[in-house]
Amino acid sequence: MSDAVTTAPAGYAPHIQKRSATLSMDTVAAWVLTLPAILAYLLMVLLPLLGVLALAFTDYEFGARSFRWVGLDNFADMPKDRTFMASIRNTVVYCFFVVPLSIGLALLLAILIEAGARGRAFFRAVFFLPVVSLTVAMATAWQYLLHPSIGPVNAVLRALGLGAPNWLGSSDWVMVSLGIIGVWENVGFNLVLFLAGLTAIPRDLYAAAEVDGAKSAWSRFTLVTWPLLGPTLLFVMIITMTRSVRVFDTVQTLTQGGPNSASEVLLRTIYQEGFHYFKFGYSAAITLVFLAIVLAIMLVQTRLIDSKVHYG
Amino acid sequence: MRADKQTLFKDMPRLAVLGCAAILMLVPYVWMIAVSVKPPDEVFRASLTLLPERWALVENYGKVLRTIPVATFVMNGLIVCMGILFFQMLFAIPAAYALAKLQFRGRELLFGFVMLGLLIPYQTTALPLYLGFHQAGLLNSYTALIAPFTCSVFAIFLFRQFFKALPDDLIAAARIDGMGEFSIVWRVVLPNALPAATAFAIFSVVAHWNDLFWPLIVIQKGDLYTPAMGILAFRAVESGDDYGALMAAATLVAAPLVIAFLFAQRRFIEGVTMTGLKG
Amino acid sequence: MTRLSLTRRQSLAVIGGATATIAMPSIARAQAVEISVHYSMPAIFKEAQDAVMEAFVRKHPEVKATYVNPTPTYEDGAQLLLRNAATNSMPDISFQGLNRLRMFAERGIAQDLAPLLAREGDPAKLGYSRSLLGLGFHAKMQCGLAFATSNPISYYNMDLLKKAGITDAAFPASWDKVIENAKRIKALGDGNDGMFFRWPGDDWMFSALLYGHGGRMLNEAETDVAFNSAEGLAALKLFDRMVKEGGMPNYAGTADLQAFAAGKLGQMFRTTAQVRSISNSVGSNFQLQTSLMPVIDPVKGRLPTGGAGGMITSKDPRKQEAAWTFLKFATSAEGTTLMTKNTGYVPCNQIAIDDPSYLADFYKQNPLFQAATRQVSLMVPWYAFPGQNSVRVTQVMVDNLARIAEQKATPEQVLADMATEVRKLIPRQG
Repeated sequence: MSDAVTTAPAGYAPHIQKRSATLSMDTVAAWVLTLPAILAYLLMVLLPLLGVLALAFTDYEFGARSFRWVGLDNFADMPKDRTFMASIRNTVVYCFFVVPLSIGLALLLAILIEAGARGRAFFRAVFFLPVVSLTVAMATAWQYLLHPSIGPVNAVLRALGLGAPNWLGSSDWVMVSLGIIGVWENVGFNLVLFLAGLTAIPRDLYAAAEVDGAKSAWSRFTLVTWPLLGPTLLFVMIITMTRSVRVFDTVQTLTQGGPNSASEVLLRTIYQEGFHYFKFGYSAAITLVFLAIVLAIMLVQTRLIDSKVHYG
Repeated sequence: MRADKQTLFKDMPRLAVLGCAAILMLVPYVWMIAVSVKPPDEVFRASLTLLPERWALVENYGKVLRTIPVATFVMNGLIVCMGILFFQMLFAIPAAYALAKLQFRGRELLFGFVMLGLLIPYQTTALPLYLGFHQAGLLNSYTALIAPFTCSVFAIFLFRQFFKALPDDLIAAARIDGMGEFSIVWRVVLPNALPAATAFAIFSVVAHWNDLFWPLIVIQKGDLYTPAMGILAFRAVESGDDYGALMAAATLVAAPLVIAFLFAQRRFIEGVTMTGLKG
Repeated sequence: MTRLSLTRRQSLAVIGGATATIAMPSIARAQAVEISVHYSMPAIFKEAQDAVMEAFVRKHPEVKATYVNPTPTYEDGAQLLLRNAATNSMPDISFQGLNRLRMFAERGIAQDLAPLLAREGDPAKLGYSRSLLGLGFHAKMQCGLAFATSNPISYYNMDLLKKAGITDAAFPASWDKVIENAKRIKALGDGNDGMFFRWPGDDWMFSALLYGHGGRMLNEAETDVAFNSAEGLAALKLFDRMVKEGGMPNYAGTADLQAFAAGKLGQMFRTTAQVRSISNSVGSNFQLQTSLMPVIDPVKGRLPTGGAGGMITSKDPRKQEAAWTFLKFATSAEGTTLMTKNTGYVPCNQIAIDDPSYLADFYKQNPLFQAATRQVSLMVPWYAFPGQNSVRVTQVMVDNLARIAEQKATPEQVLADMATEVRKLIPRQG
């Protein structure tokens, strides 16, 4: 290759120039393509965020007419805040519960659906339904289903002779219940994503694998599906993680963080401090800490896994 | 290419597992619909009965239709969700392509911002945005409902993943054919990522159809509410919700989404089987 | 581009439509003062507010009042007001939860109604008794007028009581009796529970027990806690007994309402605001009765008042006048009658309470609503803590009650902890 470059006859020179020109054209093109997104992001996401984060260093209250700069006072208050510490603990527990379970179940269901031709459209629609419904309505449904005395779940458990826990009222069980609901919510969502990923895998690869001697479903999975599902899987993991760490609606509607902060989660604490107690400065400080921690974890995870996933 | 159709017998285990999972997934949903046709004194019973003794379908749904302008809300939902989706695709797809396939300085930095965006809870930025829209005189408008969501980092992330999986020679071939980057995005890359596009469209529409938080903040006058707001007329924690009407409203609000999904599903399948690429 | 023009056109259409809804003689329209009114919980108050508005329009054509979109909860309503305070676009009148009025007074959002009231002469003649005015008197000013009030009452499943062999003609007059009944009902088994006293959510019910014993939250000067007194301890001990002896289940959210409607809860203690929806969900499943809260201290005992009060935010004198006209009407005997008939809350005008021509028929047809009216003489304001942490204090109390409900701490421990935490949260003055 290098010979061709150094001893290039006249006709080749423009080609080289074009290549380096193409490179910088790439950069120009890239920035042009991303410009609208960047502008929207700046205006609607980044600038407001920076404004709010600046408040982390003040004692601003929602509706107050003035505020003072208090430096790092808000951050100093955090370790002493029992509710905040409980939020961190509960959010971590919730993520560890929901992320692997909802991904595993969704993947299993997606593969089962795609494995046969019968009932595909039906099952797709059925598993999608929970994604569509409003949290308010679903929360009421769950409240009834998990009711300690009149709920069907406990009725079944009692009939089987097992204990009937106080799902949403007991500080020992409340995170488990919320975790179960979280898995339920996320399975449908992840399923749709996995289905998109699975349908993008060319069918003839399976045929080719079979020809090459991969007879069983398991070997087809490990040889073809798993590697090609890589990018989708990474995506689903990141998305489920970000959704789990930002859990809010179910907690707010079902338990309001109780009993006694046993089900407080980070986003709810942020909301509670800012919109309920009107302590916007403190709420912004918690937001800053929250974003810093989670962003760090996210970047590490992406870098680790991204390099392991092979593309096309 | 369709999978071989196995005999019903061989298919049983698969169908059984899927069937059980389906029932478990659907229980809350079924309860919601069951309650929407029950009178208030039958909603909470010690035994789980799905069919009501006294049908209150007309009562509950009638109340919902009388109390809230369902047609207006659905109309608003359509305008707002389609508007948001349009801009999200318009901004995200080229950006995702650039992040996935083009080498340029600052790529890592931009991607870092995308990741950051995934984590930002949008309640956090609500107050400054509200103040900004007020200054611009844009409250109580479709713009206020659509603009904040036009940059979807979720979309950028999703499409980037799918575009990365596309073979490079496909794009090289297009370049040799003389296509500019812009045409490549819309004429070559996107058609090969239709499953991703449909999946995203589904999520975007569902999320914004069901959004309560933001419309409550920016719409204070008039009927520009999105469908989810319709629910709130029946929700009163202090005096007890009107469960039958609440569930009826929730069902009505979810119905257009389900119909849209069924419709999109068929197109989705057609789209995949028709692209010759995979052959 | 087209999108923008559609928006403008759409907005104009909406505003035009809203303006056209109130028909008025053109002369009056030219001179009419415009005010905007805000309230929360349309599910409860929409019919009442619409009825009040309809009657108001006929009586006072010189004021053009329109509603901004109501907010779903009191909390959303408070947030709306604070947001709009930042952009100077507050509604002229806002109906807020009674325990929030103080916060708005302290932030200079609620205007003092005392001068406007003074012009009317003797307030008692208008039906504003001292205790009714007291409900809206905070931070040394009359920051609002009570519009719709509620107090805690008892709900009984008569069928279940009968089944447990409780045949007293009179309702349980004391908590001892209630707890005893609860024991007997629980002994029936089959998932039946004897009682539930709604403590989650906010500090309203705790104050019911505290005030019932004659205690108070903070001392007169509001510099220190006063609930860590003998009365406070007695209140917590009673609560503890409810769990230990009465077998009170640890319900979250609205689980108690659901169990009651299903016929599995014998005695329930909650706000009277829910009478209508509870009797709807009970239907004819069993016989429902309401009664007063069991009396603890017949002399010193009091009950907290929940509900909504109207406040004026406008500083413009003309708008204030107009707003005052509306607020006065809404809380007049006529206005409060409309409110009561449409919601079942306790009326906020002494004339409407005393004079049978207003509501006697209503109560005859709706006997369940009567229990609350018989406790009117015991109503004291729902306490709003001073300072910036007032809302947080409420949460502290709820969290501590949860410890007793789960039997994870003794009343003595909880009282001490609550006192320590609340002391840190109230402003220190001098």
